[in-house]
Amino acid sequence: MMDGCEAIRELLIAHQEGELEGKECRLVEAHLATCPGCAREADLIQEALRRVQGFPVPDPPEKFWEDFGAAVRRRIAEERPPHPSFWTRVANWLPRWPRLRPVSALAMATALGLLLAIGIVRTYRTPRDVPPVEAFVVSEDLGIAQDLEVLENLDLLQEVEVLERLELLRHMDGARRPRLS
Amino acid sequence: MHQPDLEVVQRVLAGETAAFEILVRQYQQEIYRLAYRMTRNAEDAKDLAQEAFVQAYRSLGTFRGQSRFSTWVYRIAVNLCLNHLKSASRQDPAEVNGRLADQREDSLTALLTDERDRALAQAIEGLPPQQKATLTLRVQQGLSHREIAQVLDCSEGTAKANYFHAVRALQRKLQVFRDAS
Repeated sequence: MMDGCEAIRELLIAHQEGELEGKECRLVEAHLATCPGCAREADLIQEALRRVQGFPVPDPPEKFWEDFGAAVRRRIAEERPPHPSFWTRVANWLPRWPRLRPVSALAMATALGLLLAIGIVRTYRTPRDVPPVEAFVVSEDLGIAQDLEVLENLDLLQEVEVLERLELLRHMDGARRPRLS
Repeated sequence: MHQPDLEVVQRVLAGETAAFEILVRQYQQEIYRLAYRMTRNAEDAKDLAQEAFVQAYRSLGTFRGQSRFSTWVYRIAVNLCLNHLKSASRQDPAEVNGRLADQREDSLTALLTDERDRALAQAIEGLPPQQKATLTLRVQQGLSHREIAQVLDCSEGTAKANYFHAVRALQRKLQVFRDAS
């Protein structure tokens, strides 16, 4: 085996297929011209493909094809007539719009789906930074309740003050009121 | 795009269902040969080819004409063949052996007289289904790697890799004979 045989043998099928171009192709051909081992490998590939290509397929008689066609016709007659599917009609219609031509149906469907999904999420999601209406009401009520409490306390104080004054007045009245007895 | 085929498809979709027979007549031999090469059995090949056309008719509404009609039917037929091979390999081994013995009379092996051809046929039978399909489509049906990728619904790189593996297996099989001689 010469230097580089392994690498060349890796390329033999691609060479056989006409897949190699330019420098790579010339490299393989030059190697095959000077390396009997690799040339034999290339022959082996060619022989294998030639043999497989020549495998026979029994040629059925004309009657076979008549029966074949009749059987297909019979089975098709039991089927519903085919119609273009909705998406096929959409796909056939799209290319008539020159601006839409580069946009594949799949890309459009994905974009529409995304928009729809975003819309649904935005519609049904409860915003985190905005409290619900009930929260406003409760907080307002709480505030009012607290204010009321203060007011009540104020009233109480005022009442105490009034009471104190009344008491003072009573004493004053008592002092001034004439004795009945 | 194969314009005449597409025109026929449109006629069928427009309600002229009898026009489908034009497509059947045009591709029945190719599809039958493909099925025979995949299954190596005339009766299975006939059934699978008929089923391929019935399925093609059934889903004709989804055919958009982006690939050739023949590629589209090939795809249906190859999938049917792969499923057939898969279900056959799942059967009880004893039953499979018995069935193979029954089929031997019209199997490919019986048609091959050269022992190297028989060894190659055996090597092809031992390939993974995707590699076997790729080899059949490339060498015996003459499809390009790009068309094979469309038929097998894979990338062109995967189609090439499968092909290279399959050819290497055949090469190794022939190497044994060459070493022995």
